[in-house]
Amino acid sequence: MASEAPARTTSLTAEAEDQGHYRDYARCVHCGLCLNQCPTYRLWGREADSPRGRIRQMFLVSQDEMPMSAAYVTHIDRCLDCRACETACPSGVEYGKLVELARGRIEQEYRRPPIPRFARNLFYRQLLPYPDRMAKLARLAGFYQRSGFERIATGSGLLKLAGLEARSQLMPRIDRKFFSTDATRVHEARGIRRARIAFFAGCIARMTFTSLNEATLRVLQANGCEVVVPGGQWCCGALAVHAGFRDVARDLARRNLAAFEQGDFDAVITNAAGCGSTLKEYGQLFGPEDKDHERAEAFGERVRDVTEFLDQLGLVSPLKREERRVTYQDSCHLLHGQRVREAPRRLLAAVPGLELVEMRFADQCCGSAGVYNITQTETALELLRQKTQHARETGAATIVTANPGCILQLRAGVKLASTGQEVVHVVEILDRALR
Amino acid sequence: MATRNISGEAIKELAQIVGSAHLLTESLEVSLYEYDGSVETGRPDLVVFPGSKHEVAALARWSNRHRVPVVGRGAGTGLSGGALAREGGVQVVFSRMNKILEIDVENRLAVVEPGVVNLDLSRAVASAGLHYAPDPSSQKACTIGGNVAENAGGPHTLRYGVTANHVQALEIVLPDGEMVRIGGGAVDPPGYDLVGLFVGSEGTLGLVVEITVKLTPLPESVKTLLAVFETADDATETVATLTAAGVTPAACEMLDGWTIRVVESSIQAGLPTDAGALLLIEVDGMREAAEEQAQAVIDLCRKNRAREVRTAQSERERETLWKARKNAFGAVGRVAPDCYVQDGVIPRTRLPEALRRIGEIGRRHGFDVGNIFHAGDGNLHPMLCFDHRKADEFARAMAAADEIIALCIEMGGSITGEHGVGMEKDRLMPLLFSQADLALMKGVRDAFNPLGLLNPGKIFPGGKGCGEIRIPAASATEGKRGTARVDEAGGSGPSGADGALRDRQA
Amino acid sequence: MRASGENLFEPISAIVGGANTSVEAAATRNYAIGGQRPAVVAWPATADETREILRLCVKQRLAVVVAGAGTKLGMGGPPSHYDLALVSTRMNQILEHDPGDLTLSVGGGARLTDISKCLKAHHQFLPLSVPYESLATAGGTVSSGIDSPLRQGYGTVRDFLLGAEFVTGSSHRVKSGSSVVKSVAGYDLHKLLVGSLGTLGVISRLNFKTFPLPEVRRSILATFGEASAAIGFAQCIAHSPLAATSLESLNATLVDLLRRGAPRSASPLPVPQLSGRASEWQVAVGFGGSEAVFRRFRNDAEGMAREWGATDSLLLDDEATAGVWERLVEAVPLLLDSSPAATLVHAGVLPSQLSTACAAAESSAKRHQLPVALLARAVGAIYIAFLPDALNPETILRLAQAVDETAEAILAMQGHWSLPWCPEDLRKRTRLRGDERPDLGLMGKVKQVFDPENILSPGRFAGGL
Repeated sequence: MASEAPARTTSLTAEAEDQGHYRDYARCVHCGLCLNQCPTYRLWGREADSPRGRIRQMFLVSQDEMPMSAAYVTHIDRCLDCRACETACPSGVEYGKLVELARGRIEQEYRRPPIPRFARNLFYRQLLPYPDRMAKLARLAGFYQRSGFERIATGSGLLKLAGLEARSQLMPRIDRKFFSTDATRVHEARGIRRARIAFFAGCIARMTFTSLNEATLRVLQANGCEVVVPGGQWCCGALAVHAGFRDVARDLARRNLAAFEQGDFDAVITNAAGCGSTLKEYGQLFGPEDKDHERAEAFGERVRDVTEFLDQLGLVSPLKREERRVTYQDSCHLLHGQRVREAPRRLLAAVPGLELVEMRFADQCCGSAGVYNITQTETALELLRQKTQHARETGAATIVTANPGCILQLRAGVKLASTGQEVVHVVEILDRALR
Repeated sequence: MATRNISGEAIKELAQIVGSAHLLTESLEVSLYEYDGSVETGRPDLVVFPGSKHEVAALARWSNRHRVPVVGRGAGTGLSGGALAREGGVQVVFSRMNKILEIDVENRLAVVEPGVVNLDLSRAVASAGLHYAPDPSSQKACTIGGNVAENAGGPHTLRYGVTANHVQALEIVLPDGEMVRIGGGAVDPPGYDLVGLFVGSEGTLGLVVEITVKLTPLPESVKTLLAVFETADDATETVATLTAAGVTPAACEMLDGWTIRVVESSIQAGLPTDAGALLLIEVDGMREAAEEQAQAVIDLCRKNRAREVRTAQSERERETLWKARKNAFGAVGRVAPDCYVQDGVIPRTRLPEALRRIGEIGRRHGFDVGNIFHAGDGNLHPMLCFDHRKADEFARAMAAADEIIALCIEMGGSITGEHGVGMEKDRLMPLLFSQADLALMKGVRDAFNPLGLLNPGKIFPGGKGCGEIRIPAASATEGKRGTARVDEAGGSGPSGADGALRDRQA
Repeated sequence: MRASGENLFEPISAIVGGANTSVEAAATRNYAIGGQRPAVVAWPATADETREILRLCVKQRLAVVVAGAGTKLGMGGPPSHYDLALVSTRMNQILEHDPGDLTLSVGGGARLTDISKCLKAHHQFLPLSVPYESLATAGGTVSSGIDSPLRQGYGTVRDFLLGAEFVTGSSHRVKSGSSVVKSVAGYDLHKLLVGSLGTLGVISRLNFKTFPLPEVRRSILATFGEASAAIGFAQCIAHSPLAATSLESLNATLVDLLRRGAPRSASPLPVPQLSGRASEWQVAVGFGGSEAVFRRFRNDAEGMAREWGATDSLLLDDEATAGVWERLVEAVPLLLDSSPAATLVHAGVLPSQLSTACAAAESSAKRHQLPVALLARAVGAIYIAFLPDALNPETILRLAQAVDETAEAILAMQGHWSLPWCPEDLRKRTRLRGDERPDLGLMGKVKQVFDPENILSPGRFAGGL
């Protein structure tokens, strides 16, 4: 009866195991509990765009039982890599790892159409790895934003005409002054030194979230942390990993490993959940036999999200009263990638007068997902529309989250829906409340 | 046999019905519908996603005209292959029909499309102090349409009843495309209880396109208790004692020692990994009643040598305990590549004996058998973990499974408490039902589904590809244990090394 | 083509024995329906004997009506023909009771009182407090599908019937369901038997889930000036955390009748003095549980009664509770006995429509000068009894109009209705027949499968099935 159906179970031969990730795939018992947690499945209701369906496809491709077709690549591209399915999965399938490996193989073996291929290579190989090139590009964008060209483009309806209006809302605002990581800096702890930590500043965030980075330093210092910003650090490689440019990511990782091995730190702190989960998983980039594997693992173990770290350390700085209703949007890579749920909520609860109202589906992706909002804009905007609706229902004046990418996306959302809400990072709330 | 001859013309018609964007014809995409949460497979030829009940009716007419089977599917979380296109044909996936059409708080009713996710409905009515009571472990993903097809249960059915107790009316599409309402929002519709017949008919009588369900008030008070026992015997005896004493918790779930350790490694819920068994007991209702019941439960647990009885102190703690329970089957994926979950039911008075004998059966075949189940209902879910790549292990697992089912029947129980017969247990039906019983059921099926185009090859034994079954008398005695065998020799199984496996699962 | 009793006596008695076969008028009269009498009455002792009888009936095209104690034979239409009454009272065994599993199996003819006696010894019960409780059989109760005052707390029989064995019209002995509390193997054919009025099969075995008896059973009687307040109060309790087991709203006519009437049991229990002014409604709230539950209940329920403007509320002790419930359970016979042309409409409406439905029945009764007794269960079931003091063509005409109007009102609010009891002449005079249903065709298909020769209670069921 079932002879014509190549079942998962029949095709997983013992030899297949030698080829790679048999165990990883075999963990999936196709129970389907992940389906309704997956943003793209919720949108389209298609197995092919669900975690279970993607796992099946990736498995078949990894076993060379299915060609690497355009349809396959589309389904894998459409994944947000938000990893909500990992939280839902009772079997502990490491979906994020699987999809990143699958994308790596796509990048190596699949020939995309010329334009996307050119654009992807340009960004991931020619720009992302180079701080100076990224800085130049950022200054150019900043000039566009500030010079009035953007106002003209928006005001004239040109963007609308080109269908780019919503898309332009998703672009980060470029800071006048970038957060420098050229040379190692040390920021003294206020009061008794309770910890010595290294701060990871990010790449795009360095040029667009300077004030967030500065607020992070202030909050850490105020709570007794000596903060070192090691020079020579650069992009964590998350974007590259998610896009399948694993070689680029490895190069970036080696660069950061070197930068952060300059001193002995209690922890490596980041305020970007997306970066945090990649940094914590550096070990996955290097095979067990790779000489850098152990270093990467050791480094990963020291990485903490700033909310996770502050929550563990305990807040000591007195906090001002802040009469305000806020709602918290879980950043996927904090909640699902790093399994940190309570820490940011506890930190918010520590601010006197702050009222935290949970929004429905706070654990669902806002659609930002790294560069997903650029590559899959329509889907990202649909998810954003839902998210904005849920955030609006809470009646909160402020939406708080834990990742710069999410902040950008949510800001675009509140602007497009004109809800008038502000969007800030957890540490910015703490920073304001510092006396 | 799966690839049917569906003409290009017929496919064009299908595309006109649902829109070409909602039709899958490409073999890769279609193949993703060949599995569900069970160990079965069955590949459709085409997949459609109707957007309205009228499209479903048109699909039925199409199927009738072209003599192509149609098989409904919700989220594909079923555990008996009920939603799999065993004989090919068109898979009708209800994921687009996922709207809650009406919530009537005053009359505590909701009208939903079949693709609404079980938990989403409960979430939507929570602010009105209501919930949808049937709570299968897959409730965060499974659909109410699927629940209706399989008459889904769940831990809280002990107090609140199964899906059948909560469905008030259905709108169904018959194979000829006729759309009929059965039952009613109001109570006591005159005539035969067609809704009662329909719920649990596994998609073989019609396609459900609209469901009116009862909503249940959220209890005023909920107490979740975790009783820790040194031995499984003590726990099962506690369940029997509770039942006999007239204590009726909302839920009463048991985890044996093996399962506790597996689950705890997956979900760190703080379960005592050195325990022999746990009972997760929930009492709810009026505050006073819940308190009394909780005390009665605690007293009886202690009397039955519970080492410790914990009470969840917060909603969060309660959620963690339930998460441990509801994720258990999946958690087994961490320890073994394959897990066969069974669904037998026995009288609750026989629980201690049943678990002991299941353990013996496992040991005799060289397995650890995990048990996590609805103890309060006597609904067992023995889990046999194996690696199908080792052929001998698979055969042993299946032999053990057969013995366990024979045991349930011998004790006067059932072969399935909530997962459904589907394509997994059709061969076991003659162990429970006589030829006459099955003939009448088939008669009903044929009256609704005369051409057999709706979900063919389900529930009834003798579907194509199945081996002939040699069944001992249903009253198999202990001395005959192990005689419940399926003779696969005559089966038209597939060729190849895994033939035995697939034949067995199909 | 009517068979004569003499011709049937021999073959039937060959199956069940002469002592269990009768063609005497004294016997056949007991099973008359609407003036029609069977030619022969048979009392089979087993499912196999039942099979043999039905096999004979198929062969000879005999129409069979199944009876238990015969208390509900008046429900449903008269059979289109009627040759044999098959009485199940010899299949009256308690087959199995597993107290620890809260499950029970009985023969189709088992009496509810015997069941209750057996269960009571284990502090259990079956929530089937149906009319004619002291006589009724389990099979007859299931076939009639009739509800009980306990449905608020325990549901109706479909909610705790686990499985059944029965003999179909094609004389096959068949079972469905199971005898354990949970099973989804195969179609739940036994559910079709509920309310089927014997048109699908002869029930030989029923498997039930049983329930623990509550420690104490008490009740509250609250009096209200009008229906909407009474029903509002009942709904308020239904929506509260208080888990009432019964919630019955009664109009003054019914209250009066219950107070005066004595149920048919040997020694009727006394009832408390119920006020029964012409315009007043009463709500009887029943509940069970411990003393602590009871205190909370009293406190909250009395508060709600005040809020809804109760003019009076009375807490009943054990004995008074028993007296009131005995009468409520037996409301149907009391109503039937109170008028020579008693006409009972059973309606199901959404709870939010209860007041409107009751008002519609009352105004229709008023228009046609008919006394009307109303019993509204909070789940949405209503018994509407028109009680003229004479049976003649003129009252039949008025009854027909009142029934049609009431039925129309109920159908207009998406409710359901049926006419379980009424004078035989009335059935042909109403315009509506209770078969205004879209699913009648499907029911016909079911009937065809179970009883292809149409020998079981032909014509008795909705739509003439």
